[in-house]
Amino acid sequence: MGNQTLEVLHGILYGKGIRFGQLSSLGGMLATITGKHGDVVPFIAPQIHDHAMTVARVSASKYYWNAELLVRTQIAVERWYGFGLFTVIPDSYNFEVEALGAKMIYSDAAMPTVDLNEPLIKSPADLDRVGPLDPSKGRIPNAIEMGKLVPKLAPGPLSGGYFCSPWSLICLAVTYPKAIRALMRDKAYGRALFDWAENQALWPYLQALAKAGVKNAIGADAWSAFPDMSPELLEEWVMPYAKRFNDRAKKELGMTTSAGFLAGDYCEEDPAKFDKELMFKALAICHRSFALDVTPIVMGRTQDWDMRWVQEFAVLNGKGGRKLPIFASLNGRFMRDAPLDRILDKIRGWIDIMGRDGGLMFFIGNVPADTPPLNMHTAVQAVKILGRYPIVQDLASIPVEPARFQPFDVWLKDQPEADLIFKAREK
Amino acid sequence: MSQAELEAISKAITEGDDAEAERLVRQALEHGLAPHDIMHGGIVGGITKAGELWKSNQYFLPDVILAADAFRAAMRPVEPLLKESRERSPQGKFVLGTVEGDMHNLGKSLVGALLTSAGFEVIDLGIDVPRAKFIEAVKVHQPAFLGLGAYMSTTMLQMKGIIAELEAQGLRRNLKVMVGGVPTSQEFADEVHADAWGKDALDAMQKALKLRGA
Repeated sequence: MGNQTLEVLHGILYGKGIRFGQLSSLGGMLATITGKHGDVVPFIAPQIHDHAMTVARVSASKYYWNAELLVRTQIAVERWYGFGLFTVIPDSYNFEVEALGAKMIYSDAAMPTVDLNEPLIKSPADLDRVGPLDPSKGRIPNAIEMGKLVPKLAPGPLSGGYFCSPWSLICLAVTYPKAIRALMRDKAYGRALFDWAENQALWPYLQALAKAGVKNAIGADAWSAFPDMSPELLEEWVMPYAKRFNDRAKKELGMTTSAGFLAGDYCEEDPAKFDKELMFKALAICHRSFALDVTPIVMGRTQDWDMRWVQEFAVLNGKGGRKLPIFASLNGRFMRDAPLDRILDKIRGWIDIMGRDGGLMFFIGNVPADTPPLNMHTAVQAVKILGRYPIVQDLASIPVEPARFQPFDVWLKDQPEADLIFKAREK
Repeated sequence: MSQAELEAISKAITEGDDAEAERLVRQALEHGLAPHDIMHGGIVGGITKAGELWKSNQYFLPDVILAADAFRAAMRPVEPLLKESRERSPQGKFVLGTVEGDMHNLGKSLVGALLTSAGFEVIDLGIDVPRAKFIEAVKVHQPAFLGLGAYMSTTMLQMKGIIAELEAQGLRRNLKVMVGGVPTSQEFADEVHADAWGKDALDAMQKALKLRGA
């Protein structure tokens, strides 16, 4: 259709059972979120920043400083893999503290990283010294440009500006252990840190985003994942401050923000410690913090989960006879390390358990830089084949061959991003 | 009295009370308890108990952070005293560091502390360590072990190059290489030809002892 509003309407109607025409990727996603399902299980393009940079062979020192290069490179790599619904996630953690003067580590191979050996905030007295953030400093103008570009070029559920949520920003400014000590041992300092993060670090940036016309911004909060934070600490600190921030953004700037995004994401790494009760607690918090009304599983070690637990959670938390749709992320390291037959078995198993009654979307939680493209191409192909509705009874009987694809550079030559990416490779 | 003091040290560490843990250790030393007994009868027990609570989902990472703080605080008074006895019966030298471009410090520090408690002489190169510095440290210190840590999927790739360089320079004959950090796995450790993968700090210490034949 080529018209987002019509695509959205088409998807909503399709999901409600009024099925006609060919759904777009956006329509398929909307059908899954608001209704039962579209024509096929959607595979939303993953968080892919480092991987896209590696596939496109552009240096980090250009990629993370050039909004157009980052956005268009991610879209190109996602299109090469066959995704229809793009996701563009930039460096969503480091640039605010960088602009405030934090010592950074730069390299040509990786995203700029905060040097926590010399934290920006060493003592409570520093809170009066550091800030307010100047939106013309560092990579802030680039982040604002991305906030404008992404909704235009990659409209979708996770599209908009990005900022570092208050808790994660505190961890990057003072270090995680010291931030934890403040919350557990010195609550007055803990409150002062949250006030500083909101007023001195984030608010000037958010005002600049609003002034640039950005209506929607996601506040990444990976430091709020479980078990980095306990459910009790999340409820006492992260969630109330995220709510305060989001309410204020709506009231004062007319912006929709998702501070605390991913708070409670169940990231237990040890399968021996998987615990259904704790997982449900974490999922309930993550559901509240997520930008979409879904059962969110994002960065966890999902290859070892019992997905019947997730399906049970989704059914228990559904409304009106339909389950809470499941945003099901394949683990990035699994996508990198696992042989193809294991990846295909996982996709078959997930569709079998969570996809038959609709309400299932695939995603990948941060694709590692060195993930084999064959794994990515084949996974996308597999979801298209195995996830077509109605789901066949015996998924094992449907063969999925390893994907055949052109090398990226050969494919890129005929793409609109060719000049931009090839030029970026020049010294 | 000494058993009660050791239990109090252990409890303070488990509960993450760093000031109390250090005070109790200093008090125990004043009362004449041997550093080695304080270490193994109180300090290690405290951090091990915290690890057990972590493994049974009763502790979360914030609790472990505070326990690790208390562990380090308790180590301060005994560390200089232990050095002497370590020199008499060492497990060997263990060079440790986080690879270049990476800030992974907490996990590495925990590994270092537990290795120290197990009798290794730990040479901590810190974070953001270039390949050449690892190679140089192996040549200078001639350790029994080299531990490489990484926190990001981009930086972990450097481990392969470091290990390949060690092999190319003939430095692996008497050296065991261990890798660890959030994005690593046993599969990755095998791929880069590491001798062992430390799933967590405790696992790293146990595997180092096993490789040492202890």
